[in-house]
Amino acid sequence: MIARFSIMLTALIFTTGAAAEVLTDADEVIARADLAAYYAGADGRSDVRMIISDSQGRQQRRQFTVLRRDLADAGDQQFLVVFSQPSDVRNTVFLVDKHMDRDDDRWLYLPGLDLVKRISAGDKRTSFVGAHYFYEDVSGRRPSDDTHEFVETNDDFYVLKHTPIDPLSVEFTSYVTWIDRETFLPMKIEYTNAAGDLYRRVEVSEVEDIDGHPTVTSSRVSDLLTGGKTDMQFRYIKYDVGLPETVFTERSLRNPPHDWLQRPER
Amino acid sequence: MKHAVIHLATERPRTVYAVVVLLTVILGALITRIQIDTDPENMLPVDQTDRVFHNLVEERFTYTDAIVIGVVNENHPNGIYNVDSLTALHSLSKSILALDGVIAPDLASLSEVDNIDQEGPGTIRFEWMMRDAPVTEQQAMDIRRKVEQLPLLKDSLVSGDGKAATIYVPIASKDLSYPLSLEIQALIRQLDSDDAYHITGLPVAEDTFGHDMFVQMGISAPLAGLMIFALMLYFFRSPQLVIAPMLVAMATVIISMGLLIGMGFTVHIMSSMIPIFLMPIAVVDSVHIMSEFADAYRPGADAKIVITRVVEHLFTPMLFTSLTSAVGFLSLMLTPIPPVQIFGAFVAFGILLAFVLTILLIPAYVIRMKPAALDKLSSRSSTPHTDTLLARTLRRSGRFAMRRGKLITGIAVLAMAVSVAGIYRIEINDNPVRWFKANHPIRVADDVLNEHFAGTYDAFVVLTYNEGDAIPAFSAAAMQLLNRVDEGYAAELRQLVAARPGDIGAWFGDMITAVDDALFDAEDSESIDALEQLLAMAEEAQVKSKYFQRPDILQQISEIQSALTDSGHVGKSNALPDVVKVVNRELRGGTPSDYRIPPTAAAVAQTLLQYQSSHRPHDLWHIVTPDFTSTAIWLQLKSGDNQDMSLAMDFLDDYLAENPLPAEVEMRWAGKTFINVVWQDVMVTGMLKSLMGAFVVVFFMMAFLFRNPRLGLLAMVPLSVTILGVYGIIGWIGKDYDMPIAVLSSLTLGLSVDFAIHFIERTRALLRDTGSFASATEQIFEEPARAIARNAIVIAIGFTPLFFAPLVPYITVGAFMAAIMALSGITTLILLPALMSWAGPWLFPEMRDSSARSLAPAQPAQA
Repeated sequence: MIARFSIMLTALIFTTGAAAEVLTDADEVIARADLAAYYAGADGRSDVRMIISDSQGRQQRRQFTVLRRDLADAGDQQFLVVFSQPSDVRNTVFLVDKHMDRDDDRWLYLPGLDLVKRISAGDKRTSFVGAHYFYEDVSGRRPSDDTHEFVETNDDFYVLKHTPIDPLSVEFTSYVTWIDRETFLPMKIEYTNAAGDLYRRVEVSEVEDIDGHPTVTSSRVSDLLTGGKTDMQFRYIKYDVGLPETVFTERSLRNPPHDWLQRPER
Repeated sequence: MKHAVIHLATERPRTVYAVVVLLTVILGALITRIQIDTDPENMLPVDQTDRVFHNLVEERFTYTDAIVIGVVNENHPNGIYNVDSLTALHSLSKSILALDGVIAPDLASLSEVDNIDQEGPGTIRFEWMMRDAPVTEQQAMDIRRKVEQLPLLKDSLVSGDGKAATIYVPIASKDLSYPLSLEIQALIRQLDSDDAYHITGLPVAEDTFGHDMFVQMGISAPLAGLMIFALMLYFFRSPQLVIAPMLVAMATVIISMGLLIGMGFTVHIMSSMIPIFLMPIAVVDSVHIMSEFADAYRPGADAKIVITRVVEHLFTPMLFTSLTSAVGFLSLMLTPIPPVQIFGAFVAFGILLAFVLTILLIPAYVIRMKPAALDKLSSRSSTPHTDTLLARTLRRSGRFAMRRGKLITGIAVLAMAVSVAGIYRIEINDNPVRWFKANHPIRVADDVLNEHFAGTYDAFVVLTYNEGDAIPAFSAAAMQLLNRVDEGYAAELRQLVAARPGDIGAWFGDMITAVDDALFDAEDSESIDALEQLLAMAEEAQVKSKYFQRPDILQQISEIQSALTDSGHVGKSNALPDVVKVVNRELRGGTPSDYRIPPTAAAVAQTLLQYQSSHRPHDLWHIVTPDFTSTAIWLQLKSGDNQDMSLAMDFLDDYLAENPLPAEVEMRWAGKTFINVVWQDVMVTGMLKSLMGAFVVVFFMMAFLFRNPRLGLLAMVPLSVTILGVYGIIGWIGKDYDMPIAVLSSLTLGLSVDFAIHFIERTRALLRDTGSFASATEQIFEEPARAIARNAIVIAIGFTPLFFAPLVPYITVGAFMAAIMALSGITTLILLPALMSWAGPWLFPEMRDSSARSLAPAQPAQA
C-alpha cells in the first residue's frame, strides 16, 4: 500500500517535472527532495563502489551492497550494508533501523572478530568506513533537523540554504543545496563551517532512470580542507524487489541473505 | 703587479674611491633582499640521502610543522581536568580553528579528537572527546577517565600527571608561524584563565631564531665596529688614522654580504656571523700599514713616496697572511654542510677583498690627507709606545722565553698532553633548542612541557615492506590465466595488469573491480573459471601486499615500542599497534585484557575499518600508508640532545640485532631530531677533513713563503698548540662539542697562523739585518711583538660584543675567539722564541751560514 503510493508519487514527480508550477515553500521542496533521494520505490538494492582518495591521490576501495526497505515514505527505513571488497573486510555488515522520532539503531558484525556489536548512534556525522561520506549522507539527514530557506530558484534548480536547529550537534554552520527542479534530486550540496569557509562539497555527476526512478549513479564528496575526496558509484540498482522484513534482522548480520545480495540479471 | 696596484691607488685616488663607493652602494642595496634561513634541515644538502628520506616520510605520512601550545595548571588538585581549565582550552581550540592558515582537520586538542568508549553492555560509542566544554567537575573528571584509556592521547595531548595539556596547531606554511603565534597569544590573553600558557614548536622556534639573528647582525656587528674603533683610537690616538681602517672594514662587510645575498644565498646562522668575523680581520692589515706609515713619515716628506714604500714593504707578508687566513676559511668548503660552506667561502672572499681594499684605499686615503693633518699624525705617533705596560711585559716575557727555552718547551709539551687527554673527554652533542638562552620563553616552554609530557622532540622509526618479486610473480601468473579468458574481457584486464603499480592499493583495486565486473558479464565457463581463479589470486596478493595489517608484524612493532620505552631513551612511542589494540579492546567490551592485537589480518582490517568510522579517519595515515606497505613508529623524546637521540638509535640497533625484523622489512630513521644527529655527524667528520686539509695547505704555503720546510713547521706550532689547547679546554670544562665549537678549529687555523708568519718573517729579517741571533731576538720583542699583541687584542675584543647576542652560539664564538686569540698570541710570543732558543740553528739557515752575518747591512730594526 505504502509502496504503491510511493511509486505513484515519484512517477508523478518524474513525468510532470518542469511543467509543474514553481514551488515556493522551502519545506515542501526539501520534503520532495528527501523522498527523491532516499525513498525511491518501496525498497531497493544497489551495489556501491567507493574510491576514497587522499590529497596525494592515494586510494582505498570499498565495495558493498545496500539493501533498503521503507516502512513509510519520509518515515522509518531499514538498511542492510554488506561489504564484499576488499576481501579482508568481506561480510562485514551494518544493519540500520532509521527512525524519525528517535535515534537510529545500528548494529555491526565483524566476521574477523566474529563479533556483533551495537553502535551508539549518538553522532551520525562521523566518517562512513573511512570515506568522506558521513553515515548521515548514506542514510539521509532528517529534514526536521534544519530550517530551510530559499536562496534562489533558477531555470534548473531550487537553491536552498539550510541552518541546523541544534548547531552544536554538527560541524557545519549551514549548507546550501541545489535541487533539480525536474527530479528533485539534490545535485550539489555545499557546507560552510564556523570559520566561514566552504569546506565540503557533495556533487552528483550521473543520474539514470531506473525502474522509472531518477537515480543517482555517480557522485563525489570533496573535503576542501584536506583535498581528499570519495567517489561513489552505484550499480546493479533495482527497486521494489520485495525485500522481506526478515532480511533486516540481527540474523542477517552473521548470515548475510545471499539470495537478496545477488546482482540482478539485466 | 703590486707596483701597478699601488700606482693606481696613489695616482688615481678619486677613481679608486669612486669604484669602491659604487661597488659598496650597488651591493649594499642588494642586502635589502635578505632571506633569512633558520631551517635546521638546511644544514644538510638538499640531496643528502637522510634528508631526502626524511622529506619523503613527511610527505608519505603528511607531517606538517605545528605550533605547540602548552597549558599548565599546577594549582588545581585535578590539574587541567577542571571546568575552568577545560573551558578555556575548548574555547581557545575553537578560536584557533577559525584562524586562516591553520590546517583545521589536523589540529589536535581535547576538543577535536575522538573517543571510543562503551555505552552500556554490548554497545560501542564513537564520539568527540570533548564536544562541549564540561559544566560540572564530574564531567571534567569523566574526560580524564576517557583520556587515560587512550594510550595515543595520554602523555601526548594531556600529561600523565594531568597537570598539562597541549594543542597541536598544524600550519599551512612556516611563514605563517609568526603572525599566527601573535594571533594565538592575543586569543590567550582574552581567555580569562589562570593557567600558564606556553607557545613553542619548531616553526615558532625558527621564527624567533631568525628574529634574533637580525638582532645580532643589527646590534652586535655595529657594536663590534664601535669597539674596534675605540680600541684603535686607544692604540693610535688619531681619529683620522683610525677612520681609514674602519672604512675598509665597512666596505668589506657590505660588499661581501651584498654579494652573498645578491647571489641568491640565504642568510643562515653561520653567514649571519660573517660581518662580525670580517670586521676585525679587515682592520688588521690597515693597522699594519697605518702604524708603519706613522712611524716612517716625517713632516715635509712626500706622503706618496712614503706610503708607496710602506705598502711595497708589507705587500708580501700581508698577501700571505690574507691567503693563509682565506685558506683556513676556504677549508670549510670541505665540510658538506651548505651553510658552513657558504660561510667559509664568503669569509675567505671577504679576507681577500679586505686585502685588496687595504692596499687600494689606504694609500688613496693617506695621499688625500692635508699636509697639516699628516704632520700632526707623525708628531703624535713620534712617541712610540715603548714604555707602556704592554711593551714592558713583552720585553720581559721575551727575555724569559729565550732564557728558559727548554723549560717552556717542556711545559708546552706537557700542556699538549693534558689537552689531548681533554680532547678524548669531548662530548659531541648539540640541540638547536639550546641555541636559545636558558631564560628564553622557548627554552622555558621546552622545559615545562618536557617535564610534564613524554617528550616534545619527534623522531620516527619508519618500516617499509619490500615486496620483492611478489608483484612481478603475481603479474606473470595473472597474464597466464588471462590467456584462458574471452578476449572481449582479457584485453582490458591485460592492460590493467601490465600497468606499473605506483599505488599498489589502487592497482589491486582497479584490477579486482575489473575482474569482478568481467566475471558478472562473462558467459563461457572457461572464462568464468579463469576469472574466478584470477579474482581469488588477486585478492590473496592484495591482502599480502597490505603487509602492516599482519598481526605478527604488528606484534613485533609493539615489542619494539615496549623495548624502546623500557630503555628509558624514549618517552613514549605511538604506532599502528596502539590503534589496533584500543579499537579491539573497545569492540570486545572494554576490558583491559582485550588490549591486544587480534589474530588475523582480516580482523585487523576490520578493526581499522571501525577506527576509520570516526570524525578523523585521516589520522590513520599519519602512522601507516593507505596501502599498508609502510608504517611509522612516532617516538616522543624528552630531550632534543643529539646524544640522547643517538642513544635511542644505538639501543634500537642493538635490539634489532638480537630481534631482527623480517628480511622483507626495511627500517630507517626520520624526524627532525634524527636529522640533527645526521648533520652533526657530517659536521664532525667534515670539520676534521677541513682541518686536515687546511693544515696541509697552510704548511705548504708556509714552507713556500719561507722557502724552508723547517720554518714552515715552526709556523704551524702556534696554531697547532692553540687548536689542541682550545679543544683540550672544551674537553676538560665539559662543554659539548656543538655547531659553533666545530667551526672554531678552522677559524683558529686561519687567524693564528698570521701571528706566526709575522713573528718568523720579522725574526728572519732581523737576523739578516743584524747578523746576530741575540740582537734579533732582542728587537723582535719591540715593535713586531707589540704589533702582534695589539692585533690579538683587537680581534679578541672585537668579538666581545657577541657576549650580548641573544643566541648561545654567538656567545660561544665570542668567548672562544677571545681564548683563541689569547692562546695563539701567547704561543707565538713565548713558545716560538723558546723553541728558537734551542733549535735556532736547525731552523734558520741564516744562523748556519756564517757568511750571512757579514752580508747583513746595519739597519735599525724599526724601519
